Amino acid sequence: MIPFLIRRLLYAVPVVLGVAAITLALFTFAGGDPAAKRLGKNPSPEAVERMRKEMHLDDPFAVQYVEFVRQIGSFDYGDSWERKAPVRRIFLDGIGPTLSVSVPAFLLGALIAVALALMVAWYRGSLFDRTMTVAAIAGISVSSLIYVLIGQWLFADQLRLFPIWGYEYGWRSIYFVALPVLIWIVLSVGTDLRYFRTVALEEIGRDYVRTARSKGLPERKVLFKHVLRNCSIPIITRLTIVVPFLITGSFLMEIFFGIPGLGSQLYAAIRESDFPVVKAFTMIGTLLYVAFNILADVLYALFDPRVRF
Amino acid sequence: MSSTTLEQAPRPFVVRSPRQEAWRRFRQSRLAMAFLGLFGVFLLMAITAQVLELTQIHDGDRRGLLYDTSLAKQGIEVAPGVPWPEEATPPSTTHWQAWLGTDSHGKSVLLRVFHGTKIAFVVGTFGALLSVLIGMTLGLMAGYFGRWVDEAVVYVYTTVASIPYLLLILALAFLIRQGGIAKAYAELTILGFQPEAYMSLGLFTIVLVIGLTSWVTLCRLVRAEVKKVRELDYVQAARALGFGDVRIMFKHVLPNVFHLVIINFSLTFVTAIKSEVILTFLGVGVDKEPSWGQMISAAKSELMKGIWWPILASGSMLFLLTLAVNYVGDALRDALDPKLKR
Repeated sequence: MIPFLIRRLLYAVPVVLGVAAITLALFTFAGGDPAAKRLGKNPSPEAVERMRKEMHLDDPFAVQYVEFVRQIGSFDYGDSWERKAPVRRIFLDGIGPTLSVSVPAFLLGALIAVALALMVAWYRGSLFDRTMTVAAIAGISVSSLIYVLIGQWLFADQLRLFPIWGYEYGWRSIYFVALPVLIWIVLSVGTDLRYFRTVALEEIGRDYVRTARSKGLPERKVLFKHVLRNCSIPIITRLTIVVPFLITGSFLMEIFFGIPGLGSQLYAAIRESDFPVVKAFTMIGTLLYVAFNILADVLYALFDPRVRF
Repeated sequence: MSSTTLEQAPRPFVVRSPRQEAWRRFRQSRLAMAFLGLFGVFLLMAITAQVLELTQIHDGDRRGLLYDTSLAKQGIEVAPGVPWPEEATPPSTTHWQAWLGTDSHGKSVLLRVFHGTKIAFVVGTFGALLSVLIGMTLGLMAGYFGRWVDEAVVYVYTTVASIPYLLLILALAFLIRQGGIAKAYAELTILGFQPEAYMSLGLFTIVLVIGLTSWVTLCRLVRAEVKKVRELDYVQAARALGFGDVRIMFKHVLPNVFHLVIINFSLTFVTAIKSEVILTFLGVGVDKEPSWGQMISAAKSELMKGIWWPILASGSMLFLLTLAVNYVGDALRDALDPKLKR
């Protein structure tokens, strides 16, 4: 176990360094000139030159890279170029609104998907199963933007149940996040349901299920005791892997609904070539992704005695 | 009675190739066949839209395209002597161009939705093609050569997969449009042929972004499968016969993992046309010609004014095409899965 963990952690180091290199290279070689952008229309070449020096854009790539890696190690990403505030401040301001959307959506969505998948597995082959399968595939075929626009139009504009746009801190936030959460759930349940159904049906076809049935166990016990336990491994690992997306996944919902979370901040930062913010958010997202992937592997091994390190 | 006995007579043993076997199983699902037919209809529409567009473009001049000219400017009248208003009008049967209504500039929704089919196919086909080419080639190489090639490929895809996906897409799209790539693309000429005249920068950006970001899944699958296939006897035999690596890889190994490529192509096709909508809404997508993404984005302000027909038309088209490809993809996966063979 411990050697496995050490091996995985060591392997994560070059991956994180690689992401850092890609991020830096993309902005250095593919992007426009952030210095010129900062100076507004038609800046003089001298002013751009001075600005570039001030922003350390003319440093050799290797120097910028080493500085970037140092920032990742120390979690200190310096100041935003656009807003005169430390990146850390921007991150901490955004995390609350982001989590207020993503956490309820994630928990409710997972609960609904697992419950539906079990029901579908229970009534497999019936009209209910086929209806749900078709509904799931139809549900994931609708563009997320359509859900958002129709949701805003119907619930906010016509029925006036929720505000269309904006955010308030504290308890009133429920009012603002209700619609994005609802839409997120609709968006995720289709995909999750299809996955969990496949998992459940695969388990139901196994030998131990036949054994359990042949010794006379009621179907209820077979499904909820034997099958559910074995399904829980892939379900838990999948849910673990998506946890990092609680930070980065509400991106679209935040932009569509004007929620001042990390997604909106990041979108603004990309538009304004506010490189320090983009760098920091990319690396935080990557670190979380890598960490939770390792965690999923560990959980998988803990729950499944067949897995050897 | 006689027909029953005929049916019960022993049938000659039929040998089908795996491809025939898969097609036979695919055909058994009527819904899958219906959706395949629907996909065919969409494909025909896309080709027609492309041909229509090409016949209207002369010397790279995109002005005066029918979908971009309001009904009033075409001289179409609501009633004798009354020109068609240059504003949104609901669907009407007065003129065929207004069957699905007109948008807020008085342009035909029908023609614009029709042209959107072409955009969807360009984005879907080229995006998926690029992604599949990268994923397939890297996966083949990693699985076949093993050792350091394998380790390098695994490292690259682990790294790419670790970057938050939406962030990568959006950042890439912005960077491509702002930086040197956009400039190079505008000036690119291959044998006197300018790609920019046929595929606008917005389209090119989406294709590139999808191709560069969504190859990881296929690469993983192909690599794992090739690792198994390369140990099989017939591959060993091919090697013993002295065939080169490239020949064995593409002629002997690839056909055995190609079902993964086909299924993944359909998945990426859908991802691409859905991403077009999002990227266009965020202002880094299609901008020079009408697309479904544009029509859906425009609905943000239109819906509140009670103009529902453009989003209904574009949204339904997008939904039907996505549904058709999703369903056909699912059916293909079942039909091509050797484990389900019966």
